[in-house]
Amino acid sequence: MDANCINPFIEAVDTVFTTMLHVQPKRNGVRVSQDDENTQDRPGLTSIVGISGQISGVVALRFPPATALCVASRMLGSEISHVNEEVVDAISELVNMVAGSAKAKLACHPPLELGLPTVVEGTGYKLKYPSKSVWLEVGFTSDAGTFNMEVTYNPN
Amino acid sequence: MKALVVDDSLTIRRIVVKALGLVGITETAEAGDGTEALRALAGGQFDLILLDWNMPKMSGIDTLRALRQAGQKVPVIMVTTEAEKSRVIEAIKTGANDYLIKPFSPDQLAAKVKSVLGVPTA
Repeated sequence: MDANCINPFIEAVDTVFTTMLHVQPKRNGVRVSQDDENTQDRPGLTSIVGISGQISGVVALRFPPATALCVASRMLGSEISHVNEEVVDAISELVNMVAGSAKAKLACHPPLELGLPTVVEGTGYKLKYPSKSVWLEVGFTSDAGTFNMEVTYNPN
Repeated sequence: MKALVVDDSLTIRRIVVKALGLVGITETAEAGDGTEALRALAGGQFDLILLDWNMPKMSGIDTLRALRQAGQKVPVIMVTTEAEKSRVIEAIKTGANDYLIKPFSPDQLAAKVKSVLGVPTA
């Protein structure tokens, strides 16, 4: 997987966060990792959506709880103080919009298909898709807090 | 004026409902997928539908097809992450009146609603 493949996803994060949250995320850098290095060792929530078609893979957004609460509060226009279904729904929709925006930039014919988003909450879990995947990981800082995006995909 | 907001995301439904308020539409109903939307349409009159594409049970495009085949002429705006030109064309050919790509601002949605309903802009 070429590091440049991440660019449509980075642009998508910028568009989605600016439009929906009125925050300008700043990228910290891109890291390449293998499945066995891809561990969430701090508490957090990860929203995940699958992509299929000419390429298949996964897009994930990892949020520390404080960032998840902040982005959900901004999207919903009301203060949310603890992780609940509203927070899960909000970060699901964010990853959905990021993947949707990126897939349009990838311009595959026929268009790529998106799955329905899933959210994982916890500590010490790994994302695996498929076995021995290479993940491109990008850290972001923003007024809503820090978060990471992880992407892996392969041509079919 | 009553609108039906169809999206599996509670967050998006709330954002859309709030944006509809900008154009004076305060009477709304919500559905979380296409089957719920068709049920709502069978039970009441709506002046506008805001319809997501990717939803569980029944997609937005299948919902749109079903309601047009049933002779429903209510204006439909697709509000979706599906941004490819071919998707927009498919939706318009199926009977969508307009198309709004997520992410969107409330003002963008309000402008689409005004355009579809023929409300003059200030």
